[in-house]
Formats: sequence, C-alpha cells, structure tokens
Amino acid sequence: MSKYDPIVYKDGKRYFYRFSAHQRIQHVVLFTSVLALALTGFPLRHAEEPWAKPLYDFMGGTEVAPMIHRIAGSVLLALFVYHTIYWMVKFYQNHIMKLKRENRVTFMNIVREFFSQEMVPNKKDVVDFIHLWKYLLYFTNRPPRHDRMSWREKFDYFAPYWGIPILGPAGFILWWRDEFSHLLPGIVFNAAYIMHTDEALLAVLFLFFVHWYNVHYAPEKFPAAKVWLTGYLSEDEMIHEHYSHYVKVMIEAGLEEEIKPQHFGGRHYGW
Amino acid sequence: MVDLFKKIVFKLYVIGLMCFTVWYGFFMFPLIFGFEGKEEARASLEAMRGGDTEEEQMYTRLLTEQTKKKTTDLGYKKIQQPYIDGRFHHIGFNIQKDEFSTCVRCHGNVPHDESKEIRSFLNMHTFYLACETCHSQPAKGDKQWKFSWYDKTTGQKVSNPQALLDIEKSYTSDDEKWQYPIFGNYGAKITPTMTKNNEQRLLHGKKEMDFVVRYLNDQKNLESAQKSQMKKVIHRKVSKQPVECKTCHKRGKTKYIPFETLGYPPMRIDELTDLAVVGMIQKYKKFYLPNFLNPGGVNK
Amino acid sequence: MNTTEQSVQIVSVSHSAEGVSETRTARHLNWIQFILFAVILMVPFDKSNASNGEELNCLICHKHRGLSRIDEQGKFRLFYINQELFESGPHRRNNCKDCHNDIDRIPHKPAKKVDCTQQCHIIEPSGKRKFSHKFIAETLAKSVHGKLDKDGKPKPHQEDFPVCKDCHDQPFYRPIAIYKGEAEHGISQRSITRCKACHKTGNFAKDFYEHVTTRLHKTRFSKEIVNVCAKCHGDSEFRKRHELDDVIKSYKETFHGKLVFLGSERTADCIDCHVVEGENNHLIEAKTVPTSAIHEANLGNTCRASDCHKKASPQLAGFQTHVTYDRKKYPLQFYMLIFFKALMAIILYFFLTMIFLELLRRLFPDFSFMKDNAPHHIVKPEADKDKP
Repeated sequence: MSKYDPIVYKDGKRYFYRFSAHQRIQHVVLFTSVLALALTGFPLRHAEEPWAKPLYDFMGGTEVAPMIHRIAGSVLLALFVYHTIYWMVKFYQNHIMKLKRENRVTFMNIVREFFSQEMVPNKKDVVDFIHLWKYLLYFTNRPPRHDRMSWREKFDYFAPYWGIPILGPAGFILWWRDEFSHLLPGIVFNAAYIMHTDEALLAVLFLFFVHWYNVHYAPEKFPAAKVWLTGYLSEDEMIHEHYSHYVKVMIEAGLEEEIKPQHFGGRHYGW
Repeated sequence: MVDLFKKIVFKLYVIGLMCFTVWYGFFMFPLIFGFEGKEEARASLEAMRGGDTEEEQMYTRLLTEQTKKKTTDLGYKKIQQPYIDGRFHHIGFNIQKDEFSTCVRCHGNVPHDESKEIRSFLNMHTFYLACETCHSQPAKGDKQWKFSWYDKTTGQKVSNPQALLDIEKSYTSDDEKWQYPIFGNYGAKITPTMTKNNEQRLLHGKKEMDFVVRYLNDQKNLESAQKSQMKKVIHRKVSKQPVECKTCHKRGKTKYIPFETLGYPPMRIDELTDLAVVGMIQKYKKFYLPNFLNPGGVNK
Repeated sequence: MNTTEQSVQIVSVSHSAEGVSETRTARHLNWIQFILFAVILMVPFDKSNASNGEELNCLICHKHRGLSRIDEQGKFRLFYINQELFESGPHRRNNCKDCHNDIDRIPHKPAKKVDCTQQCHIIEPSGKRKFSHKFIAETLAKSVHGKLDKDGKPKPHQEDFPVCKDCHDQPFYRPIAIYKGEAEHGISQRSITRCKACHKTGNFAKDFYEHVTTRLHKTRFSKEIVNVCAKCHGDSEFRKRHELDDVIKSYKETFHGKLVFLGSERTADCIDCHVVEGENNHLIEAKTVPTSAIHEANLGNTCRASDCHKKASPQLAGFQTHVTYDRKKYPLQFYMLIFFKALMAIILYFFLTMIFLELLRRLFPDFSFMKDNAPHHIVKPEADKDKP
C-alpha cells in the first residue's frame, strides 16, 4: 500500500486513494467476463423473446456464443480463485504477520483481525445501515458517515462472492454434463440448471440496476464514475460517500484545518 | 440564473431516475415471477376461443388466423408465407389488399358464391378487375367506358403493371429468373372510367367512398326503411346482368377490355382470347357444365 | 357416368425424367370428352421445359393466387398452387392427378380429399414397385398417435388424433453440400456437376442429389418440428382432454429448446428423443410401452444415441426434461424455484425501494423531522470510528 499516496493533488484538487492497479485490473477482468457471460447467457435464457436471436447471432450464434460463454465463465472462475488467494496473502501479510511481530497470535486475536479488514462487514455497517434508513425516512438531516468501505460497497463486493460459487460449479456441471453423468445422478443437472439460470438473473438484475446506480446513474456519478480507472476518488465524492474515512485521512495527513463540512443531498455537486 | 437552471436540471434528472426505478421494478416482475403477463393474455385468448356458439368460435379463429404466418427454414433460404389452417400446398405470398374499392369494403375479396361451378373463377378475377368492370355497364346513350389500371391502395391511375411484361418473359426466356411468373398480383385493378363534363372519372371515386363510409358510421341511427333507401342509392350503378365471360374471352378484335392498351403482352392475350381459356369455356359449356357461362346459376 | 366406364390412355407432357412409364389412365370419358382433352392438351401454352401440374394444364387456372371461395361451412378455400414452391420439394415429380386422382377434366367439381396411402406413378427403385405412403400410415397407427388402442378399440376423442396433413404440408427439399469440409445448406455445384457428367437427362441429377442430401440431416428445421407438435400439445384444451402436461413449455425451458429457438440445428428436438434410434420417425410411443424411446429402461440409450451424448453414462437420463414445477411431481425444482424467486424478490425490491427513497431524499435535502444539531463539519475520527 505504501506505493500509493493517500492524497494526491491534481489541478489544485485533492484526490483520495481507493484501489491499487492490481485491484483495478481484477475489476476489469471481472466486468468484461461478466458482461460477456450476460450477453451470451441471457439470449439463451429468454430464447423466445424477439431480441434474443439477433443478440445471440451477434455474439456468434449457437456455435460460437456458447464457446464465449464457457471461456468467460472459466476466466471468472479463475479470477475468483485468484482473488481468494490474493485476499488470503494480503490477510497474512497485513494482519497475521503483525500479530506475529507483536507475538499475540491467539485464535481470538486472529478472529478480531479478520473482522478489522476493510471489506468484512462489522458493527459500524449495522449502525450506518440504520442511520441511512433514518435519513431516508426524514428522521435526521445528516447522511451516514461511512468508513473506507460502506456497507453498500461491501454488499456489492460479496454479491459476486456468493454468486460465483453458485453459478460457477453449476455452469461447470452443465458444461461437462456427459462426464459428470458418470459421477452424479441426472437430477443434479436439473438443480444445476435452476441454480445457474436463476442466480444469473439475480446477478444481472442487481448489477444493471443497483451497482450501476452506484457508479453510473446517480446524479454525481453520471455518466460514469472514474475511480475504476484512476484508483482515486475526488474530494466531493469522498465527503459524500466516506466522510468518516475522509476526516481520518485528512487528520493523518495533518490537514485538520482544511476538512470540509459534510454534504447534504446532491446540492454540492457539479450540477 | 445558471444555478437555478442547474437546480432544475438536477431535480428533473432525479425525478427521471425515480421513474426509471419504478419502471425497473415493473420490468423485473415478470422476469422474477415468470412470464405472467403473456400467460394471462394467452389464457384470455383461450377463454375467447371457447366462445359459446360455433359462429363466435369461428370469428375468433378468423381473427387469429388473419395474422398467422408460417416460416420454413431451408437453411439456404427462408420461406415466409401466410398460413391457412389445414392447407397442404404452399401459398408463398400475400396478395395486396384492396383498400380503395367501395364494393370490397363490405363484400370482401371473395364475394362470388352463387354460381357453384364458377364461383372460384369469378373470385379469382376480383384480384385484378374492379367490381364495376363486370357489374356495371354504361347507360344507354352513354359513351363506352375507358379502362385503365388503378392502384389498389391510393385509387390513383397508374401505368401498366410491370408484372405483365414479366409474364411475357416467362414464355419467351429460358432464364430461370423468369421461370415462375406471378399472375394476378399487380397492385392495381382494371377499372372503368366514364366521361362526364369532359372529365374522365371513376364510377366510384373518393366521393362515393366517403359516402359509403359515412353510411357505415351512421347506419345505427337510421330507420330500417332509411337503411334500405341508402342501400338502393349505393348500389344504383350495379347492373342487373353482369358482363359475360365471353365478352372479353373471345377471339377477334372487338373486345370489351382492350388488353393491348392495358399492357397485356401478345402471348398472354392469345391465351386469354384463344383456345386455352376460350376453348375451355366454350367446349365445357356444351358438354359438361351447361351453366358455366351463366353467372347467376340459372339453367336456361 | 360409371356405366360408361372406359379406359383411355393419355400421354402426359410431364418432364419426369426417370424413364418411368408416362402413361396414365383416365376413366369416365366418352369420346367427345377425349377430343376435348386432346384439344386442351395441345394448346400452345406448354413451354419446352413444361412442369408438372400441366398434364391437364391444371395451372391454367390454379396459377392464379385469387382462385378461391368460401365453402358452405364458412371456411376460406384457396385453390392457388405456387408452382415455384411446389417444385421445391419431392412431390415435384408427381403430377397433380397422382394425388388428386378423382379429377379427370377441367373445369372440375370439388375434388375429394387426397388419400396419402394410395399408390402413385413413381416407381420405388429398390423394390421396383409403385410408391405409396401406406407403410407410414401403418406405423403411425401403431404409435401413440394411432386412432385405435392395442385392443383395436377406438381411443376417446378420435378427432384429436392426427392424420398426415396435421403434421405435414407440402414437403420441401432441404439439400446440403459437403464437397469440402463442413456441411452447408444448399446444393454443391461441384458435386452435382459430377452427377451430371453421366446423368444428363432432364432433372434426374438434381432430383437425386436433393433427394439424398435432404435425408442426410433433418428434413425439417427443429423449430418447425416443435411447432408441429405444439399445434396439438400446445393447446390447453387438448391437454385437458388427454390429461397431458404442457410439454412444449417445459421443452422450451431446457437448453435443447432454447438452442432450437436460437437457430441451432445440432440440438435435440421432439423427434430425436421420442423415437428410438433407427426407428421410423412416425413411431412415437408412450412412456409405458416397453419399446418406447422414453421408457425407463431405454431412456439412457436414447440420450446416448450416436449423434448426441455419446460419452455420457445412462444416469444422464435421470435429468427431468419436461419439468412443470408442480409441487408434487417435481418437489426439488419447485422448492428451488421458490427459494430463488424469494431471494431475488427480497434483494432486488429492497434495493429498489432504497434507491427510490434516496432519490426522493435528494429532492428535499434539508427537510427532516429531527435536526442533527451536532457540529457536522468536523467530526473527530474517534467519535464515529467503530472499534471492533
């Protein structure tokens, strides 16, 4: 992490560090494979709709599109495995090593360290969640102050983390159905089919609305957020989405005097 | 000012996004819970199909059949054609609808039914002859009518159809392209016109069409007797005795319909006025179907 | 007229090229009518490459798209013959009269329904006998679609059982070309040229080529097969009468069905699974018949048929194809479906509501029942930070 400055300046504006290049590349691989999967999978799921055949033909037709689907699926599954290893190495380096250095390696300490990771849900997420609903229902005028990762981002993150283990193996079984039929009873294919199609629908509906709302449709993001390219978030966005973390970073950088007040609604944006 | 504008744009965008959210909620519903919308539509259609009387059932069937199409995929080409339930032979194409004729508006395209032996032949003619061509005649003392091609949709005079020349090519050329000419789908009909006040006009032009449309719209307000009156007026130009087949299908120069000027190629004229058609009509009249030339079906 | 039965032989102008006997028998003619026929046949209408349907010059009238009437039942009857499409299929070698054999003059009275099992003039080359579809009709009668049950009693709802025309319209040739590499649709000009080198007369080479290559793959596109079955099995009233599941809908839910509807020709349609490999396609049998392709004992082999899941184990047949999501019949599928639908509904509608409220909140950023009076422009990180 030391490679990246927590705050950089460009054209006199502050930008706050979010994602390393390594993480950004993983995200690119993730979304290209997911888009390829959706484009080759959904015409099949809704084969009778009028748009299905043109789209499927565009994706290569009944001979090529399944191939693309399988390649993209394999890439996604590989990414899943890779990311899990990446995450475990990170955990070992940043948390277990620290415990070792401090000579405090106990089970409870490891559990505690586990929950102190930025992507793992914790108590503050529950607090923020309740606060958000208070805010949405007009019981407070102050939006929640999120830490480095808000509960929504964590949900976005764990959605593929439960989706891929359901979709991936099911897809794999359906792909190698002839071979798997020697190991598994036929009814498993029925189950795999439902798992694959319905979970895929959930993933895509979620992705195209909730995730894309967060990064595309929302007024301050429209037409698209840039953090996935640059890895840095602008000060305005930082204040809006991660106020708690913003304050922390500013204080750590010795900029306590320049901390700006929290935003309300969308008023402070470029509109 | 700019701030206000920005504020309005912002609010409009947010409202638009809210609408999108609601739409997405509706959009997702059938995806999540199956295609309910369509099933309901199908169920209601089936409920209709199970209508009470045979007539009602037939009408519903007709409505659905109207748009029925059949696609046959031969791999190297796709054949799309209209579909008629229970038909074995292929149809290939739809004939252009007549939207201009005042007669067709009520009587339809397949109006001939009385003369059992020849009704199909007569119906065949409705696709390229206007009803007036056979069912009206110039009043005594009037000039002979002039015939020309009139477009089926616009009612405008058009030049002689190209399809007629293609038919000629099918006789003379060995090229595969001309092997299968299409008969009778010219997009236009041979229509008589009369000369009135030095002006060439249709027997049933736009004015008459408007009149019929008005009658159709108003008829529920009319008394029964008034209805009969209207019908009489509308059918005033219909002559009692239709023009006979042999008026046109006969050898020699004097023809009711001038085939040459209407663009019929020589070989086709030979067919229409020589053995192929005329022979059939005449011989069979004698030996087989005495009523063949007798529209109206009365054995003289 | 039957009393003056007299056979007169008329030479046809058919272009049929197989060297088949070109004579045909026309009955019920007296000599006047014979002359008349001759006159009509001699009209200068026939081209050198005159086609079928002209032995009686049928097309002189039937080439008109408008030749039609409404019959006494109110049914629209169209008598048009599209010559181009007629000549795109195997029946092009037949004359009209081969099937419509009650017609011996023009113009004619309403023709009888065609009996597909009658013999036609085509000589079946392997047995040198006149060709007939009788064998197919016999196979159909033995199948689940036959009108009689195995005791010879008529099954209930006789009118629902199909006859030839319910599934077949005028067949088309569907030739393929495999000159080099993968099979493609259409005629390989290179291949057919090799035929024509020896078989020069008429259309023999083309007929033979199309006849053979059409049968090297499915003669009808799978989607059309499904639509044919759906004519009856897709009708809910029909299914109710015969206590059948909606197999069309469930088929369309399988990958087989989906791929078929996206234009695949390599996946299984109804016939591929419901007919035993090597059997006549018309022998579709019920699940309970021991020889049936879908009988429990044979199902494994049906899936592993030579062109399909060759490498699979018979266990693959445990896959339930026609799933209706009926709670009692298919509990696993039912509960999985309910689970996923509930999961989807909860997650998606929750987030949708949240986003909607959030957007609404943006319109009224300052409104609130309770004001947070704490100084909000600076918050000590300790104050808000969660300490695990």
